[in-house]
Amino acid sequence: MTAHPVAEVGKAARAPRRRLRTRLGGREGLAGWTIVFILIAVAILAPILAPHSPEAIDGNRILAAPTATHPFGSDDLGRDVLSRVLYAYRVSLGIAVGSVLLAMAVGLPIGVFAGYVGGWTDLILMRLIDLLLSFPALLLAISLIAILGPGSLVALLAIAIIYVPIMARVVRSSVLVVRGQAYVRGARARGASHLSIVRGHVLPNAIGPALVQASVLMAFAIVIEAALSFLGLGSQPPTPELGLMLADGNNYLTQAPWVEIFPGLGIAISVLAFNLIGDGLRRSFDPNGITR
Amino acid sequence: MTEQSRTVIEQDSVPLLEVEGLVKRFPIRRGLFGSGSVHAVEGVDLQIHAGEVLSLVGESGSGKSTLGMCVTGMSTPTAGRIRFAGEDVALASRRGRADFRRRVQPVFQDPRSSLDPRWPIETTIREPLDAYRVGSSAERTARVAELMDLVGLPRHFAPRQPRELSGGQQQRVAIAAALALRPELLVADEPVSALDVSVQAQILNLLDELRNRLKLALLFIAHDLSVVEHLSDRVAVMYLGRIVETGPVERIFSAPEHPYTRALIDAIPHADPGRKMSRIRLTGEIPSPVNPPSGCRFHPRCPVAVDRCSTEEPQDTQFDEGHSAACHVAAAALAQRGSIISVLSEGATS
Amino acid sequence: MTALVELQDVSVDYAGHGGSVSAVQNVSLTLGENETFGLVGESGCGKTTLSMALMGLLPASARVTGQLLFRGQDLLAMSEAERRQQRGDELSMVFQDPATSLDPTFGIGYQVAETVRAHRRVSRGESKARALALLREVGIPAAESRYADPPHRLSGGMRQRVVMAAALANDPSLLLADEPTTALDVTIQAQVLDLLAELQRKHGTTILLIAHDLGVVAQICDRVGVMYAGQLVEVAPVAELFAAPRHPYTRALLEALPSRGRRGRSLRVIGGQVPDLSDPPSGCRFADRCPHRMDVCATVPPLVDSDSRRRIACWLDPATRATAGLPPVPAAPTPDAPIAVGPS
Repeated sequence: MTAHPVAEVGKAARAPRRRLRTRLGGREGLAGWTIVFILIAVAILAPILAPHSPEAIDGNRILAAPTATHPFGSDDLGRDVLSRVLYAYRVSLGIAVGSVLLAMAVGLPIGVFAGYVGGWTDLILMRLIDLLLSFPALLLAISLIAILGPGSLVALLAIAIIYVPIMARVVRSSVLVVRGQAYVRGARARGASHLSIVRGHVLPNAIGPALVQASVLMAFAIVIEAALSFLGLGSQPPTPELGLMLADGNNYLTQAPWVEIFPGLGIAISVLAFNLIGDGLRRSFDPNGITR
Repeated sequence: MTEQSRTVIEQDSVPLLEVEGLVKRFPIRRGLFGSGSVHAVEGVDLQIHAGEVLSLVGESGSGKSTLGMCVTGMSTPTAGRIRFAGEDVALASRRGRADFRRRVQPVFQDPRSSLDPRWPIETTIREPLDAYRVGSSAERTARVAELMDLVGLPRHFAPRQPRELSGGQQQRVAIAAALALRPELLVADEPVSALDVSVQAQILNLLDELRNRLKLALLFIAHDLSVVEHLSDRVAVMYLGRIVETGPVERIFSAPEHPYTRALIDAIPHADPGRKMSRIRLTGEIPSPVNPPSGCRFHPRCPVAVDRCSTEEPQDTQFDEGHSAACHVAAAALAQRGSIISVLSEGATS
Repeated sequence: MTALVELQDVSVDYAGHGGSVSAVQNVSLTLGENETFGLVGESGCGKTTLSMALMGLLPASARVTGQLLFRGQDLLAMSEAERRQQRGDELSMVFQDPATSLDPTFGIGYQVAETVRAHRRVSRGESKARALALLREVGIPAAESRYADPPHRLSGGMRQRVVMAAALANDPSLLLADEPTTALDVTIQAQVLDLLAELQRKHGTTILLIAHDLGVVAQICDRVGVMYAGQLVEVAPVAELFAAPRHPYTRALLEALPSRGRRGRSLRVIGGQVPDLSDPPSGCRFADRCPHRMDVCATVPPLVDSDSRRRIACWLDPATRATAGLPPVPAAPTPDAPIAVGPS
């Protein structure tokens, strides 16, 4: 036993803690991440990938069926649907990621603070959160848009506001669980400060459910944003946006289904990808591997 | 000095830990408006000397764990005094309190939940050293290795995650972390009850060894009386927030004075078919600590209770050096023995 | 002693991600009518898996081989419907945690009555009367007024009594009790053990008591079987097993127990670790930790009659050696040969 040199102690920081694949959520998570990365690449590279300009109107190709040069067909103004879908991911992914990050930036500290401090602080913060939750989500978004006027950024903000209480609640409840663990009480008894406990024990162990929630909320954000745009409250024409495209295509569903189907598929794929990541993370955040 | 245990060293007149009249109540809410409180600990006096093992026994709801939490500073007492090495902990300065925390360390029941599942075990053992900024980084690393040797963990385990360890090994890690700051008192709440028999034996041996090598005092909270009998110097028996009997372990197990202690000892299932449990059973169950019974809290279940027990709270009676119990019946029997002896001795002199 | 349950070469393997786990290996055991049999061993030794195999409650990933006979009937050949009919009727079970064995939303009496109705064509009134009688029998005070109480109004000990009432509702021939007192306080445990012993006497039920606490087994069982890492290593009448354990594991286990006689001395520690059951050693699974290890231990020792009352699976035993044509161990090691003290 003493034959082992002291050098063996102190290496943990460098030892790989877990295989990356498991950390990202196993097979499902990996599939989700792959799709998301492809979509992000698509959004960034849209100007290169898109065969046509998303806003170029072609009077000869109004509601034209898919062809070799226009694989997804053309819409009511003769714009190329494929190009529009590729560009639309910029808005959709931007809003999905942006709204959730914003919600996390606000909700996470609230949740950690309420859950860790507990008592009256927790009670008051949570009642405020409840107040926010008691408004129907869409109503909240619509009233904000009524004040600030429609647009992609306002949609992002509106969705973030809807998400803050959800985030805060999820974080708080997992912080409550972690706070009750013996290792937190032990760390306290061994002199660790509140800050180092929150940083070292509480956050790493409580963040899992929040990240799972985040990926699911991103999927929802795409749907909500599409819905807002569909209602004319989100992004405004002629911005290529999936919800907006759905709203347009709705009128020509029988004559030109491609105008409707491809943006719809676009939404479905991105929602699926975020949900796959969520499911994968859910499993990987179980350090004891119980659900595996 | 009324208390004196066999391990007390003569010059050591100030107990390491002294608990006086400790009370801990938890407020409870019933519905929106109703309220009350759980009387978890109701006036407990306790002393532990350096290097001594004192076991706190009792059934669930007896308040033994709450008492342990108060002693380690994880819970603030409602009333009463805790003195460590003669100093009142509640009155201590910020630094004094930090010092107290360093010198008293807890060990928990379930080793799985007492280790952060995401931390390699060496990080867990190192955490207190980092928190108190003990020595240089290299010295801390060396100390971690030393602690791992001390508790019998192979050094190559250092980077492992808790889930890669068996229950016994996990408990060794928890003990190593508790020992990191060289405490003088360990408060171990059921440290072996989640472990299998053969693993339990290892941990009990380890605790015994540590106590001999480091002159560590141990407040051992347990419900398993055969473990208690094996490890302790003194035993304190708790029932519904009160210590009903306290004394040297041999005395408590061979000639308990309090009927509750007797019932607990009689209920031990011995791993010896020739030594059957006594036929006498305690009836009923431990009452709610929200509404403890009047008088002696044990009277509704007591096989020898008399009228007085339901109205008047018994005081501690000393039966022997360091052995006392709070029971009217036992006290009366003692008084009778005393009067017989005095009658006899009077008879002898006249 | 007529046999109620006969297990012959019963093995249970769990199919898992990286291969299978051999949870129980070739266990042969006979339970007589009207006896209390204790099955002991540390966690992961297969005692619960074995009892679940008997109940037919193993998960789908488990593969059971060998023969499980109940009154001469092959349990593995029965359909799921037949086995369901049998559970709660002829075979019943008491679990460790009384808090989760009862449905929190129904009255305790109703739950006992339901068990009666599940197996007998009786009216509601009759089943209620039977349930009340059972609750009274297991010592629930004021059974009539508590009949409709939900489980959370009862203490742990009382709940375990209700669980026992439900388990006894149809006069089972075999009652499996898996750690029935582990969650209870000492004085309550003593009450429940008394009750179990009394019910056994009155109804003549065969009880298979699964426990890790050797004390509990010593107090109420007639015979004991010791399991280690899926193998049944020793079976003996309780008094003989505790007085003179013969298998090295049984001996080490008993010496690891704290007791009055060992105060101030180190407890015996079994060096090494329980083998990984996804890749178990081919022979005796205790061999790696055994102080008496021999070459022959690489072969699984059969469980044979060491004498008329005791069965043991160890190559040290003359009767076991005789089955393989081996002479008795030349220099019989002393029973107290030191066992290597390891870290864990």
